[in-house]
Amino acid sequence: MDNQKKVLLEVKDLKTYFFTEEGVVKAVDGVGFKVNQGETLGIVGESGCGKSVTAFSIMRLLDYPGKTVGGEIIFKEKDILKKSEAEMREIRGKEMAMIFQEPMTALNPVLTIGFQVSEALRMHYNINKKEAIKKAVKLLAKVGIPAPEQRVNEYPHQLSGGMRQRAMIAMALSCDPILLIADEPTTALDVTIQAQILELMKSLLKDFNGSLIMITHDLGVIAEIADRIAVMYAGKIVEYADKRTIFYNPSHPYTFGLLTSIPRLDIEMKRLNVIPGIVPNPLHFPSGCKFNTRCTFTTEKCKEKEPALIELGEGHLVRCWHADKVIEEARKVFKRSME
Amino acid sequence: MNRILKKLFSNATSLVGIILLIFFIIIAIFAPAITPPLSDDPYQVPRMSWDVDPQPPGSPMSDNIREVYEFMEKDVKWEKAICGTAEGGYDIFYGLIWGTRTAFKIGIITVLISVIIGLILGSISAYFGGWIDEILMRITDIFLSFPFLVAAMVLTTVLGRGLDKIMIALISFGWMGYARLIRGSILYTKEETYVMAAKALGVNDAKIIWKHLLPNTIFPVMVQGSMNIGSMVITAAALSFLGVGAPVGYADWGQMVSFARNWIIGSPGHAGQYWYAVFYPGIFIVLFVLSWNLIGDTLRDILDPRLRGEL
Repeated sequence: MDNQKKVLLEVKDLKTYFFTEEGVVKAVDGVGFKVNQGETLGIVGESGCGKSVTAFSIMRLLDYPGKTVGGEIIFKEKDILKKSEAEMREIRGKEMAMIFQEPMTALNPVLTIGFQVSEALRMHYNINKKEAIKKAVKLLAKVGIPAPEQRVNEYPHQLSGGMRQRAMIAMALSCDPILLIADEPTTALDVTIQAQILELMKSLLKDFNGSLIMITHDLGVIAEIADRIAVMYAGKIVEYADKRTIFYNPSHPYTFGLLTSIPRLDIEMKRLNVIPGIVPNPLHFPSGCKFNTRCTFTTEKCKEKEPALIELGEGHLVRCWHADKVIEEARKVFKRSME
Repeated sequence: MNRILKKLFSNATSLVGIILLIFFIIIAIFAPAITPPLSDDPYQVPRMSWDVDPQPPGSPMSDNIREVYEFMEKDVKWEKAICGTAEGGYDIFYGLIWGTRTAFKIGIITVLISVIIGLILGSISAYFGGWIDEILMRITDIFLSFPFLVAAMVLTTVLGRGLDKIMIALISFGWMGYARLIRGSILYTKEETYVMAAKALGVNDAKIIWKHLLPNTIFPVMVQGSMNIGSMVITAAALSFLGVGAPVGYADWGQMVSFARNWIIGSPGHAGQYWYAVFYPGIFIVLFVLSWNLIGDTLRDILDPRLRGEL
């Protein structure tokens, strides 16, 4: 089914390293995925697993000491890693836009909402200030901000967190981009506002028929919005499949761990599962499979050799030596909900 | 901006500063009305007599001088040296009034240009970083390594006398502080998410510096600048006092003080006999510098982000 849809973005073997004084940190090490036109890809993982760095690499917004050292990012059939900085500036905002994690800090405190929402418009299209503000009012109305005529003249500190995130969304969508990257857009908001923002993003997505890359550590958010999911761990994709497969047929112990560590009504559990340990230090990754220090399925093989990303089913990739055992275990746990 | 003005006027310290400043501004504006110039160059202080030693306040214009002016068909509107005369018969009052204009010129122009140079170099240096930063900051270091007064003195000596030369010298060695200050603030501010967000929208570097970074970082520079207006005037006065500043007879407070150099102690038995020669220009310099410092101090309090919420 994937082949029929137009591929908007294809990331192949992306490698982004940070060259620090202590050594090279392989923040993103060989990540690859496809985003089809009109589809939503969710990237899930713990803090520090490289999901934000992946996003910044796609936007080419990384500064020293971070550097994309390998791979290809094919956007609209062209490798954006080969584009010049000036060409990149044309693409940013106009064709791909980004929503940031913290609406509190992602808006400039000394500029009005109207200015910030219309800035990209004025940057990419030659329109005057008045028209730009008019468009900003429309955009603010579109993202559900009440009394937008007043809000355009207000400053970020006069808006609530949810409002600011709406303004951020308006900013990102101002030039009708076809790819939107949302880096944990709901993390800083409280739960009711989260739901509103997600609803808003979903309805806007339908409108502009663009693609979305949703980066989050919140499986609930992913379940709500994503079509396909990439689970990242320590700079690599460990499992990549459509939403249903990830949620009901997890084949990687990390995905399985994540799923059992959230409260669910459809599974009978006495205690919430916890993935033991912490994310390994990127300067000293364990040998072999990087998850072997925290995995319940670890064997000698895992410590010796890192597994490759293998295809289990159609469009279902997993990086584990013991995928079959995980599937079996998952079946047992999720049995009731499957029936 | 309104908030800043309101605070400036409601604070007793800054109110004193503002009143003093307004006083000087009025003097500067109405200088031609207060003391109509007697020569073609209004900044040339007229002489009231040919006496070498200073004459006390209230001494009249000597007859031979009056004849010269009448011969030149000048209308002499004032005949007494209200504040006395300096060495060589130069009228102190005239020097004070027209010297106010000189002080404003020196203070505002030097600080303004230094701030602009500092802002441009500092923000480029901080924003782009890398070798650009390295080169610009090493240049700044080189300029910083000269002692300010000595460097300015040497440069004015090389360039020659004149107000414009003083200003060039003061600007040449006065911009580094602002460059350093703005660089520091921008290095910190450019890591803010909103800068990244602007970049993600395709905003170009010049706009990011101008619209996003400078409005968030310029306040310390404004405070520094307003306080430096006073100190620039002092430095210019010091240069004039040392004899490398304004040309002889130019209406400049530093020059007036320098005229008093030989008469500070007074004559034997009459200590402080020539007090007016040093007191009047001195008090003008002190008050002028004080007014800017008071305003600068209050500006700093108002704009200090830690105090912002409480005020």
